[in-house]
Amino acid sequence: MAVLDIQGVTKKFSTTTAVDDFTLTVADGELVCLLGPSGSGKSTLLRMIGGFETATSGLITIDGEDVTRVPPERRPTGMVFQSHALWTHMNVFNNLAFGLKLRRLPKAEIKRKVEAVLDLVGLGGYGSRATTQLSGGQQQRVALARSLVLEPKILLLDEPFASLDQHLRERLREEVRDIQQRLKITTLFVTHGQDEALALADRIVVMRDGHTEQADRPDVVYREPATPFVAGFIGSMNLVDGTIANGVFTHTGFAVPLAAADGPATLAVRPEALDIVPAAGAGMAKIHRVTDYGTHAIVDVDLPDGVRLKAMVGEARNWSAGQAIDLKPRAFAAYRYNAAIFRSLDNG
Amino acid sequence: MTVLPANDIVGTNKSRRPVGLLLVAAPVLLVCWLIIWPIISAIIRTIWLPDAAAEKRFSLETYQFFFSDQYSINNLMVTLWTTAVTALILLLICLPIALYLRFATNRIAAYVQGLAIFPMFVPSIILSYAFIRVLGPNGTVDLLLNAVHLPHIRSPYLTPWGPVLGLVWDNIPLTVLILLSGLGNVSNQSIEAARDVGAGRLAVLWHIILPRISNSLLVAVSFTVLGIFSAFTLPYVLGPAAPEMMGPFMQRTFRDLNDPTTAITQAVIAFGFCIVFGLFYVYSVAKNRAP
Repeated sequence: MAVLDIQGVTKKFSTTTAVDDFTLTVADGELVCLLGPSGSGKSTLLRMIGGFETATSGLITIDGEDVTRVPPERRPTGMVFQSHALWTHMNVFNNLAFGLKLRRLPKAEIKRKVEAVLDLVGLGGYGSRATTQLSGGQQQRVALARSLVLEPKILLLDEPFASLDQHLRERLREEVRDIQQRLKITTLFVTHGQDEALALADRIVVMRDGHTEQADRPDVVYREPATPFVAGFIGSMNLVDGTIANGVFTHTGFAVPLAAADGPATLAVRPEALDIVPAAGAGMAKIHRVTDYGTHAIVDVDLPDGVRLKAMVGEARNWSAGQAIDLKPRAFAAYRYNAAIFRSLDNG
Repeated sequence: MTVLPANDIVGTNKSRRPVGLLLVAAPVLLVCWLIIWPIISAIIRTIWLPDAAAEKRFSLETYQFFFSDQYSINNLMVTLWTTAVTALILLLICLPIALYLRFATNRIAAYVQGLAIFPMFVPSIILSYAFIRVLGPNGTVDLLLNAVHLPHIRSPYLTPWGPVLGLVWDNIPLTVLILLSGLGNVSNQSIEAARDVGAGRLAVLWHIILPRISNSLLVAVSFTVLGIFSAFTLPYVLGPAAPEMMGPFMQRTFRDLNDPTTAITQAVIAFGFCIVFGLFYVYSVAKNRAP
């Protein structure tokens, strides 16, 4: 049970700034996802919290105690690494017991704690197994258990499911969420998978070039992206550059009425919020391709100047390539100079 | 047009087998001819000796002589002592160098690596004479000490420590490279994970790094032992006249005493010690390759 506070943290590697004046407070028991593309600084930030990198400037506190320059072995944090980082010369039990032995706990207590945490991650009875005999998912569970057995104040997860297949990843993230909620442990989770972040997080921090683009609840980040970058990064998004004049956004025949000041703008509309209707004449756009995903279909449409948009429809069979259509966005936002200037009321 | 199945192009397992065997046949035959046969021949020549009537018969008298002759035993002992001390000093020197090279991220590491590998390019004879000029009587060190009115050093030249110092210097590159290759298998994340659960630097070294490079340590020690038992130049130039190491001892017995049978007996005994470490090496390689 702990509060993590990061104040104005910067990390520079010679000429590169990996994390730039980053500030974030993670509440007690909260699960925050750091989401961003490669090179956005999310892993560097996590490593600074874990003590594996030293901040160039700024302050990191856990429950009010400054840990900015405390080495990892003396921090109340537990980290789960992307590659599991299990010690293959030890069996599962010894992997978990290693940290407890270093703390000189009695043997009986070590045994009790290790068995309890193995049960927690669904690996009861696996103590004597060699780590190399485990599947990728089981290895990651052991890595999680190894961190949890020490009862850290802050749990740090650095893309822990990146090396697992999609099915296993979905199952494990649900398990991690269950365990986190059961233990009420303050957790910071780094991922570049938006699905993972949306499914897991109490709050998502979208990072870009070492700073925060947006920090909010997953539904807000998804529905009300603060910047075109967030809009493009979270979920699938159509971004169309155009001009607003007299309350209408236009881009070569594609016109959308909206109440914003005249000037250049970027219109953002998600495929599921972009309706298409058969056009009587030439229409706003032509269908390029229809891809059927079973539960839904994605229609690629080309505007007259070649800009391609995606629209989600229920049935693929109603649409065909070359068909002329009109576009009717139900929910959309407009951005100018990296800030939202209009959001439609209908969230789709 | 008929499309042939893939195995028609690359060949089936059955048809490839003789090619594979032929590829390994040449080196295997060479090993048999140049190594295995001389060993067998040497053993036969030392146990199948001519008697008074010049008829060959089974006899262990050359071995009985070796193990009853105090001088021979002293030579064997000094060789074992040199081997053990050199191996220990090598590990004490090379392990910190290899650890530094594995984990350092600065530019100095490249220079340190260059320095550590440098002895590999210096022939033993040059090393020996350089050693004499620096640490020998009236060498550079003595001259420098004399210049500041300090007493002479007790030179290790012509003492058992002479070959030890030379062999340590000579074996540093190989030992560092072997340890470095072992350390390459220790991932940064496994070390970070250990630090994350509370291990300090010593605990990481003892509980994580050393167990992971135990095979490399074994290989390094095996190579050192094999190299020292077969060393000739450094013990011959730098070592004492008596007791002497097995290399010079064999050469002197063969050439100066003109007694090839005894020299071969000494070689077989030296081989007997080396084979133990050779088997360690083979076991360690096989263990690493096991699925």
